[in-house]
Amino acid sequence: MSPNPINDRVERMAQAIAERVVGLVLDSIDLNAIMERIDVDRVVSRVNADAIVDRVDVEKIIDRVDVEKIVERVDVDKLVERVDVNALVERVDVRRIVDQLDIESLVAQTELGSIIFKSTSSVAAEVLDVIRAQGVGLDDFFARWTNRILRRDPASLPLGPSALVSPTPADVPALPALPAQVDAP
Amino acid sequence: MITPPPPALYEGRQGHYAGAVTRLVAFGADVGASWGLYTLGLGAVSLTVALATGRAFSVGRNQVPTLIVLVVWEFLYFAYQWALSGKTIGMAILGIQVVSADGRPMAPRQAVLRTLALPLSVAIIGLGFLGILVQRERRALHDLVAGTAVVYSWDARAARLRWLARQAPETTGS
Repeated sequence: MSPNPINDRVERMAQAIAERVVGLVLDSIDLNAIMERIDVDRVVSRVNADAIVDRVDVEKIIDRVDVEKIVERVDVDKLVERVDVNALVERVDVRRIVDQLDIESLVAQTELGSIIFKSTSSVAAEVLDVIRAQGVGLDDFFARWTNRILRRDPASLPLGPSALVSPTPADVPALPALPAQVDAP
Repeated sequence: MITPPPPALYEGRQGHYAGAVTRLVAFGADVGASWGLYTLGLGAVSLTVALATGRAFSVGRNQVPTLIVLVVWEFLYFAYQWALSGKTIGMAILGIQVVSADGRPMAPRQAVLRTLALPLSVAIIGLGFLGILVQRERRALHDLVAGTAVVYSWDARAARLRWLARQAPETTGS
Protein backbone atom coordinates (compact mmCIF):
# COMPACT_ATOMS: atom_id res chain seq x y z
CA MET A 1 0.00 0.00 0.00
CA SER A 2 1.18 3.49 -0.89
CA PRO A 3 2.30 5.74 1.93
CA ASN A 4 0.11 8.59 0.57
CA PRO A 5 -3.57 7.57 0.00
CA ILE A 6 -4.36 10.84 -1.84
CA ASN A 7 -1.72 10.14 -4.43
CA ASP A 8 -3.07 6.61 -4.99
CA ARG A 9 -6.53 7.91 -5.66
CA VAL A 10 -5.28 10.55 -8.04
CA GLU A 11 -3.27 7.91 -9.95
CA ARG A 12 -6.25 5.59 -10.27
CA MET A 13 -8.43 8.47 -11.41
CA ALA A 14 -5.82 9.51 -13.98
CA GLN A 15 -5.57 5.90 -15.21
CA ALA A 16 -9.35 5.66 -15.54
CA ILE A 17 -9.55 9.00 -17.36
CA ALA A 18 -6.69 7.99 -19.73
CA GLU A 19 -8.31 4.64 -20.57
CA ARG A 20 -11.62 6.34 -21.21
CA VAL A 21 -10.07 9.05 -23.38
CA VAL A 22 -7.99 6.56 -25.41
CA GLY A 23 -11.09 4.41 -25.90
CA LEU A 24 -13.09 7.41 -27.11
CA VAL A 25 -10.27 8.57 -29.40
CA LEU A 26 -9.81 5.11 -30.94
CA ASP A 27 -13.55 4.74 -31.47
CA SER A 28 -13.65 8.03 -33.28
CA ILE A 29 -10.71 7.21 -35.61
CA ASP A 30 -11.55 5.84 -39.04
CA LEU A 31 -8.59 3.50 -39.62
CA ASN A 32 -9.64 2.72 -43.18
CA ALA A 33 -9.59 6.42 -44.02
CA ILE A 34 -6.11 6.73 -42.55
CA MET A 35 -4.88 3.66 -44.46
CA GLU A 36 -6.19 5.14 -47.68
CA ARG A 37 -4.09 8.25 -47.08
CA ILE A 38 -0.91 6.25 -46.46
CA ASP A 39 1.43 5.80 -49.43
CA VAL A 40 2.01 2.07 -48.97
CA ASP A 41 4.56 1.87 -51.82
CA ARG A 42 6.65 4.50 -50.11
CA VAL A 43 6.46 2.67 -46.82
CA VAL A 44 7.37 -0.65 -48.48
CA SER A 45 10.29 0.97 -50.27
CA ARG A 46 11.75 1.89 -46.90
CA VAL A 47 11.47 -1.65 -45.61
CA ASN A 48 14.66 -3.71 -45.72
CA ALA A 49 13.15 -6.90 -47.17
CA ASP A 50 16.47 -8.75 -47.10
CA ALA A 51 16.85 -8.17 -43.40
CA ILE A 52 13.35 -9.54 -42.85
CA VAL A 53 14.01 -12.57 -45.04
CA ASP A 54 17.27 -13.20 -43.18
CA ARG A 55 15.33 -13.45 -39.98
CA VAL A 56 12.88 -15.98 -41.43
CA ASP A 57 13.71 -19.63 -40.86
CA VAL A 58 12.81 -20.93 -44.31
CA GLU A 59 13.81 -24.51 -43.48
CA LYS A 60 11.35 -24.51 -40.62
CA ILE A 61 8.60 -23.22 -42.89
CA ILE A 62 9.38 -25.82 -45.55
CA ASP A 63 9.33 -28.57 -42.92
CA ARG A 64 5.79 -27.57 -42.09
CA VAL A 65 4.67 -27.62 -45.74
CA ASP A 66 3.00 -30.79 -46.95
CA VAL A 67 4.48 -30.94 -50.44
CA GLU A 68 2.64 -34.13 -51.33
CA LYS A 69 -0.64 -32.42 -50.65
CA ILE A 70 0.32 -29.45 -52.82
CA VAL A 71 1.45 -31.69 -55.67
CA GLU A 72 -1.79 -33.61 -55.49
CA ARG A 73 -3.68 -30.37 -56.00
CA VAL A 74 -1.60 -29.42 -59.09
CA ASP A 75 -3.11 -30.24 -62.47
CA VAL A 76 0.07 -31.42 -64.20
CA ASP A 77 -1.63 -31.87 -67.57
CA LYS A 78 -2.83 -28.28 -67.50
CA LEU A 79 0.64 -27.15 -66.48
CA VAL A 80 2.33 -29.08 -69.28
CA GLU A 81 -0.13 -27.65 -71.79
CA ARG A 82 1.10 -24.17 -70.89
CA VAL A 83 4.77 -25.11 -71.42
CA ASP A 84 6.33 -24.02 -74.72
CA VAL A 85 8.21 -27.24 -75.45
CA ASN A 86 9.88 -25.78 -78.56
CA ALA A 87 11.30 -22.88 -76.57
CA LEU A 88 12.48 -25.35 -73.94
CA VAL A 89 14.18 -27.60 -76.51
CA GLU A 90 15.86 -24.58 -78.12
CA ARG A 91 17.50 -23.83 -74.79
CA VAL A 92 18.89 -27.36 -74.43
CA ASP A 93 22.56 -27.73 -75.41
CA VAL A 94 22.24 -30.98 -77.35
CA ARG A 95 25.91 -31.01 -78.33
CA ARG A 96 26.90 -30.96 -74.67
CA ILE A 97 24.62 -33.90 -73.96
CA VAL A 98 26.02 -35.85 -76.93
CA ASP A 99 29.57 -35.04 -75.79
CA GLN A 100 28.77 -36.61 -72.44
CA LEU A 101 27.68 -39.86 -74.08
CA ASP A 102 30.31 -42.55 -74.25
CA ILE A 103 29.47 -43.43 -77.84
CA GLU A 104 32.62 -45.46 -78.32
CA SER A 105 31.93 -47.94 -75.55
CA LEU A 106 28.32 -48.01 -76.74
CA VAL A 107 29.44 -49.00 -80.22
CA ALA A 108 32.10 -51.41 -78.97
CA GLN A 109 30.03 -53.26 -76.40
CA THR A 110 26.41 -53.19 -77.50
CA GLU A 111 24.26 -54.40 -80.38
CA LEU A 112 24.58 -50.89 -81.80
CA GLY A 113 28.07 -51.84 -82.95
CA SER A 114 26.83 -54.79 -84.97
CA ILE A 115 24.00 -52.68 -86.43
CA ILE A 116 26.49 -50.05 -87.63
CA PHE A 117 28.76 -52.85 -88.83
CA LYS A 118 25.97 -54.34 -90.94
CA SER A 119 24.81 -50.98 -92.30
CA THR A 120 28.15 -49.34 -93.10
CA SER A 121 30.66 -52.11 -93.32
CA SER A 122 32.19 -52.74 -96.68
CA VAL A 123 35.62 -53.72 -97.85
CA ALA A 124 35.95 -50.36 -99.63
CA ALA A 125 35.18 -48.39 -96.45
CA GLU A 126 37.64 -50.48 -94.47
CA VAL A 127 40.36 -50.04 -97.10
CA LEU A 128 39.73 -46.28 -97.26
CA ASP A 129 39.92 -45.93 -93.48
CA VAL A 130 43.21 -47.83 -93.40
CA ILE A 131 44.74 -45.90 -96.34
CA ARG A 132 43.73 -42.55 -94.86
CA ALA A 133 44.95 -43.43 -91.37
CA GLN A 134 48.28 -44.66 -92.76
CA GLY A 135 48.55 -41.49 -94.86
CA VAL A 136 48.02 -39.26 -91.84
CA GLY A 137 50.58 -41.26 -89.88
CA LEU A 138 53.18 -40.80 -92.63
CA ASP A 139 52.25 -37.10 -93.02
CA ASP A 140 52.95 -36.61 -89.32
CA PHE A 141 56.23 -38.51 -89.58
CA PHE A 142 57.52 -36.30 -92.40
CA ALA A 143 56.18 -33.12 -90.78
CA ARG A 144 57.94 -34.02 -87.54
CA TRP A 145 61.29 -34.52 -89.28
CA THR A 146 60.91 -31.38 -91.40
CA ASN A 147 60.20 -29.32 -88.29
CA ARG A 148 63.21 -30.87 -86.59
CA ILE A 149 65.49 -30.06 -89.53
CA LEU A 150 64.14 -26.52 -89.85
CA ARG A 151 64.28 -26.10 -86.05
CA ARG A 152 60.64 -25.10 -86.07
CA ASP A 153 58.28 -25.33 -83.12
CA PRO A 154 55.24 -27.38 -84.28
CA ALA A 155 53.03 -25.54 -81.78
CA SER A 156 53.75 -22.28 -83.58
CA LEU A 157 52.38 -23.63 -86.87
CA PRO A 158 48.74 -23.10 -87.81
CA LEU A 159 46.65 -26.28 -87.82
CA GLY A 160 44.50 -25.17 -90.73
CA PRO A 161 42.79 -22.20 -92.38
CA SER A 162 41.34 -19.78 -89.86
CA ALA A 163 37.76 -20.40 -90.99
CA LEU A 164 38.06 -24.14 -90.36
CA VAL A 165 40.10 -24.57 -87.19
CA SER A 166 41.33 -22.71 -84.13
CA PRO A 167 44.53 -20.79 -84.89
CA THR A 168 46.80 -22.61 -82.43
CA PRO A 169 46.91 -26.20 -81.14
CA ALA A 170 46.49 -24.90 -77.59
CA ASP A 171 42.94 -23.83 -78.47
CA VAL A 172 41.98 -27.31 -79.61
CA PRO A 173 40.48 -29.39 -76.80
CA ALA A 174 42.09 -32.78 -76.25
CA LEU A 175 40.05 -35.74 -77.42
CA PRO A 176 38.94 -38.15 -74.73
CA ALA A 177 40.84 -41.42 -74.56
CA LEU A 178 39.15 -44.68 -75.43
CA PRO A 179 37.28 -46.31 -72.56
CA ALA A 180 39.35 -48.82 -70.62
CA GLN A 181 36.85 -51.62 -71.31
CA VAL A 182 37.68 -51.57 -75.03
CA ASP A 183 41.13 -52.94 -74.43
CA ALA A 184 39.95 -55.55 -72.01
CA PRO A 185 39.78 -59.13 -73.31
CA MET B 1 39.98 -58.91 -77.44
CA ILE B 2 39.26 -55.67 -79.25
CA THR B 3 42.20 -54.20 -81.13
CA PRO B 4 42.51 -50.47 -80.49
CA PRO B 5 42.15 -48.27 -83.60
CA PRO B 6 45.31 -46.87 -85.25
CA PRO B 7 46.66 -43.68 -83.64
CA ALA B 8 45.55 -41.54 -86.61
CA LEU B 9 41.93 -42.41 -85.83
CA TYR B 10 42.12 -40.87 -82.37
CA GLU B 11 42.50 -37.35 -83.62
CA GLY B 12 39.96 -35.43 -85.68
CA ARG B 13 41.81 -33.78 -88.54
CA GLN B 14 38.96 -32.23 -90.50
CA GLY B 15 40.06 -28.78 -91.64
CA HIS B 16 43.74 -29.31 -90.80
CA TYR B 17 46.36 -28.76 -93.49
CA ALA B 18 46.95 -32.04 -95.33
CA GLY B 19 50.45 -33.51 -95.30
CA ALA B 20 52.87 -34.34 -98.11
CA VAL B 21 52.37 -38.11 -98.30
CA THR B 22 48.59 -37.98 -98.48
CA ARG B 23 48.74 -35.28 -101.14
CA LEU B 24 51.38 -37.09 -103.15
CA VAL B 25 49.41 -40.36 -103.10
CA ALA B 26 46.24 -38.48 -104.08
CA PHE B 27 48.07 -36.78 -106.95
CA GLY B 28 49.46 -40.13 -108.07
CA ALA B 29 45.97 -41.62 -107.99
CA ASP B 30 44.69 -38.69 -110.06
CA VAL B 31 47.44 -39.03 -112.64
CA GLY B 32 46.63 -42.74 -112.87
CA ALA B 33 42.89 -42.13 -113.08
CA SER B 34 43.15 -39.37 -115.68
CA TRP B 35 45.60 -41.35 -117.81
CA GLY B 36 43.46 -44.47 -117.47
CA LEU B 37 40.35 -42.61 -118.57
CA TYR B 38 42.28 -40.94 -121.40
CA THR B 39 43.58 -44.29 -122.62
CA LEU B 40 40.08 -45.75 -122.45
CA GLY B 41 38.75 -42.77 -124.43
CA LEU B 42 41.54 -43.07 -126.98
CA GLY B 43 40.81 -46.79 -127.34
CA ALA B 44 37.11 -46.04 -127.87
CA VAL B 45 37.95 -43.40 -130.49
CA SER B 46 40.38 -45.79 -132.28
CA LEU B 47 37.73 -48.50 -132.35
CA THR B 48 35.08 -46.08 -133.65
CA VAL B 49 37.42 -44.78 -136.37
CA ALA B 50 38.39 -48.33 -137.33
CA LEU B 51 34.75 -49.40 -137.53
CA ALA B 52 33.66 -46.29 -139.42
CA THR B 53 36.51 -46.01 -141.92
CA GLY B 54 37.93 -49.52 -141.98
CA ARG B 55 41.39 -48.12 -141.21
CA ALA B 56 43.21 -48.45 -137.88
CA PHE B 57 43.73 -45.21 -135.91
CA SER B 58 47.45 -44.69 -135.25
CA VAL B 59 48.53 -42.46 -132.34
CA GLY B 60 52.02 -42.27 -133.84
CA ARG B 61 50.67 -40.64 -136.98
CA ASN B 62 48.44 -38.25 -134.97
CA GLN B 63 50.82 -37.15 -132.24
CA VAL B 64 49.90 -33.45 -132.20
CA PRO B 65 46.11 -33.91 -132.06
CA THR B 66 46.38 -36.61 -129.37
CA LEU B 67 48.74 -34.39 -127.34
CA ILE B 68 46.33 -31.46 -127.59
CA VAL B 69 43.46 -33.71 -126.57
CA LEU B 70 45.55 -34.99 -123.63
CA VAL B 71 46.34 -31.46 -122.41
CA VAL B 72 42.71 -30.37 -122.72
CA TRP B 73 41.54 -33.55 -121.01
CA GLU B 74 43.97 -33.12 -118.09
CA PHE B 75 42.89 -29.50 -117.71
CA LEU B 76 39.23 -30.46 -117.68
CA TYR B 77 39.83 -33.40 -115.32
CA PHE B 78 41.39 -31.24 -112.61
CA ALA B 79 39.69 -27.87 -113.16
CA TYR B 80 36.16 -29.27 -113.42
CA GLN B 81 36.43 -31.46 -110.32
CA TRP B 82 38.08 -28.77 -108.22
CA ALA B 83 35.49 -26.19 -109.29
CA LEU B 84 32.66 -28.63 -108.59
CA SER B 85 33.57 -29.98 -105.15
CA GLY B 86 37.13 -28.95 -104.33
CA LYS B 87 38.32 -32.53 -104.69
CA THR B 88 39.38 -34.88 -107.45
CA ILE B 89 38.90 -38.66 -107.49
CA GLY B 90 42.29 -39.20 -105.86
CA MET B 91 41.61 -36.53 -103.25
CA ALA B 92 38.21 -38.06 -102.46
CA ILE B 93 39.86 -41.45 -101.93
CA LEU B 94 42.51 -39.99 -99.62
CA GLY B 95 39.98 -37.74 -97.84
CA ILE B 96 41.46 -34.34 -98.65
CA GLN B 97 40.00 -31.21 -100.23
CA VAL B 98 41.12 -27.93 -101.78
CA VAL B 99 39.75 -24.77 -100.15
CA SER B 100 40.54 -21.07 -100.30
CA ALA B 101 43.53 -20.04 -98.19
CA ASP B 102 41.16 -18.72 -95.52
CA GLY B 103 39.14 -21.95 -95.42
CA ARG B 104 36.13 -20.92 -97.47
CA PRO B 105 35.05 -23.01 -100.47
CA MET B 106 37.19 -22.44 -103.53
CA ALA B 107 35.85 -20.25 -106.35
CA PRO B 108 35.77 -21.66 -109.92
CA ARG B 109 38.31 -18.99 -110.93
CA GLN B 110 40.72 -20.35 -108.30
CA ALA B 111 40.14 -23.89 -109.59
CA VAL B 112 41.12 -22.80 -113.12
CA LEU B 113 44.13 -20.85 -111.85
CA ARG B 114 45.28 -23.79 -109.74
CA THR B 115 45.01 -26.15 -112.70
CA LEU B 116 47.03 -23.79 -114.89
CA ALA B 117 49.70 -23.36 -112.19
CA LEU B 118 49.96 -27.09 -111.41
CA PRO B 119 52.32 -27.81 -114.38
CA LEU B 120 54.62 -25.08 -113.01
CA SER B 121 55.10 -27.04 -109.79
CA VAL B 122 55.86 -30.16 -111.83
CA ALA B 123 58.05 -28.38 -114.40
CA ILE B 124 60.69 -27.07 -111.98
CA ILE B 125 61.82 -30.61 -111.11
CA GLY B 126 58.92 -30.88 -108.73
CA LEU B 127 60.34 -28.13 -106.54
CA GLY B 128 56.94 -26.47 -106.52
CA PHE B 129 55.74 -29.30 -104.32
CA LEU B 130 58.45 -28.66 -101.73
CA GLY B 131 56.22 -26.01 -100.15
CA ILE B 132 53.99 -28.82 -98.86
CA LEU B 133 56.86 -29.83 -96.57
CA VAL B 134 58.53 -26.55 -95.70
CA GLN B 135 55.83 -23.89 -96.00
CA ARG B 136 54.06 -23.07 -92.72
CA GLU B 137 50.63 -23.73 -94.22
CA ARG B 138 51.79 -26.71 -96.28
CA ARG B 139 51.00 -24.87 -99.52
CA ALA B 140 52.63 -25.82 -102.80
CA LEU B 141 53.54 -23.32 -105.52
CA HIS B 142 50.21 -23.77 -107.32
CA ASP B 143 48.40 -23.21 -103.99
CA LEU B 144 50.23 -19.91 -103.49
CA VAL B 145 49.43 -18.84 -107.06
CA ALA B 146 45.73 -19.70 -106.77
CA GLY B 147 45.31 -18.62 -103.14
CA THR B 148 44.28 -22.10 -102.03
CA ALA B 149 45.18 -24.69 -99.40
CA VAL B 150 44.59 -28.42 -99.07
CA VAL B 151 42.94 -29.75 -95.93
CA TYR B 152 41.85 -33.12 -94.57
CA SER B 153 38.13 -33.62 -95.12
CA TRP B 154 37.60 -37.16 -93.82
CA ASP B 155 36.01 -37.74 -90.46
CA ALA B 156 38.43 -39.67 -88.24
CA ARG B 157 35.78 -39.98 -85.52
CA ALA B 158 33.39 -41.77 -87.88
CA ALA B 159 36.24 -44.00 -89.05
CA ARG B 160 37.05 -44.82 -85.41
CA LEU B 161 33.43 -45.78 -84.76
CA ARG B 162 33.46 -47.97 -87.88
CA TRP B 163 36.63 -49.59 -86.59
CA LEU B 164 35.06 -50.29 -83.21
CA ALA B 165 31.87 -51.50 -84.90
CA ARG B 166 33.89 -53.99 -86.94
CA GLN B 167 35.26 -55.40 -83.69
CA ALA B 168 31.86 -55.38 -82.02
CA PRO B 169 30.35 -58.67 -83.39
CA GLU B 170 33.15 -60.65 -81.68
CA THR B 171 32.18 -59.31 -78.27
CA THR B 172 28.40 -59.01 -78.57
CA GLY B 173 28.08 -62.50 -79.92
CA SER B 174 25.54 -61.40 -82.52
